[in-house]
Amino acid sequence: MRYWVVLLGILFSLSINAADERSEPIGYVKTASGEAFVITAQNRTAAQPGTPVFLGSQLQTGAQGSIGVTFKDETVVSCGPNTELTIDEYLYQPSQGKLALVTNLLKGSLNYVSGVIAKLKPDAVAVKTPNGTIGIRGTQFVAKVEPEAKP
Amino acid sequence: MNMRLSRLILPVAAASLLGACASPPKPNSYVALLESPDGSTGKVVVRGSKGEQVIDKAKTAAPLDGSQPAAAVSDEKLKQDFGAAMAARPLLPERYLLYFVSGGTVLTAESAALLPKIIASVTTRPGVDVSIIGHSDTVGKADTNAALALKRAQAIADLLKEKGMKATALSVESHGESNLLIKTPDETAEPRNRRVEVSVR
Repeated sequence: MRYWVVLLGILFSLSINAADERSEPIGYVKTASGEAFVITAQNRTAAQPGTPVFLGSQLQTGAQGSIGVTFKDETVVSCGPNTELTIDEYLYQPSQGKLALVTNLLKGSLNYVSGVIAKLKPDAVAVKTPNGTIGIRGTQFVAKVEPEAKP
Repeated sequence: MNMRLSRLILPVAAASLLGACASPPKPNSYVALLESPDGSTGKVVVRGSKGEQVIDKAKTAAPLDGSQPAAAVSDEKLKQDFGAAMAARPLLPERYLLYFVSGGTVLTAESAALLPKIIASVTTRPGVDVSIIGHSDTVGKADTNAALALKRAQAIADLLKEKGMKATALSVESHGESNLLIKTPDETAEPRNRRVEVSVR
């Protein structure tokens, strides 16, 4: 009996933690034009300044679209047209040393200005792409992923 | 057809012919380093299936598969590939440090004079979010310091709201004595560590 109570307690606290991490925005849209969306938990929202971005969200733009997002740690990310970028890892609790920011550029173009997470823990920051992974040592850079042309 | 148009079209036609002959077509996936907004230039490392490359010079680029070392990339190409992404870059965040008259939640005159600037910055930014983070020095217990730093951060939040600050989102946090601006041992009085940071994004 006691075992079950303990187990339930653990499950309960795990679910609360998961909910906390999901429900807290990690950044907000600051610029959007054309077809620009934030997809969070399968809900697609037309992006506009103030649209919240969560861990696991995807930024998506159409042929004429662009979007810019600033994260809580002051990382500034913007995308040009035909882009898909997901936020796979985000941890920003400097007082506990919990820091990570991993995004995935599936296709399109990206302008990236690194923030506090890259400053405090550069190894915990990366941009994945289908071709390779970009590691960041506090800087501004751009990256482009063009789908492989079929032979 | 006027000269200007033919000058534009001919190279494009030639390039597409060349492109059609070349096989297989090269994927145009790459990363380019830019100068940072603060004027410094950092470094990126790209690790792909075909190797690893370090890029440490602005306006040089390497393919994302890591197959080739970084090489110069022209402004025209950067503009063509990233013009839209660059134009969509949000205003860069601003950070303000506020200091208190010893012990309490009263701002120094210098810091109080920053409040209108903070409010002006918040007002001009679309979709603005603000974090107000309290910090203490290392004199006293960590718990007490965390509570004091939170009290100061809350006091600043109240003051800014009272003065008309409106943000899409506002968070009030405390890092207590765990995030020192000036590194000191425990039990060290350091006025520069007794601060509230306001991050405007």
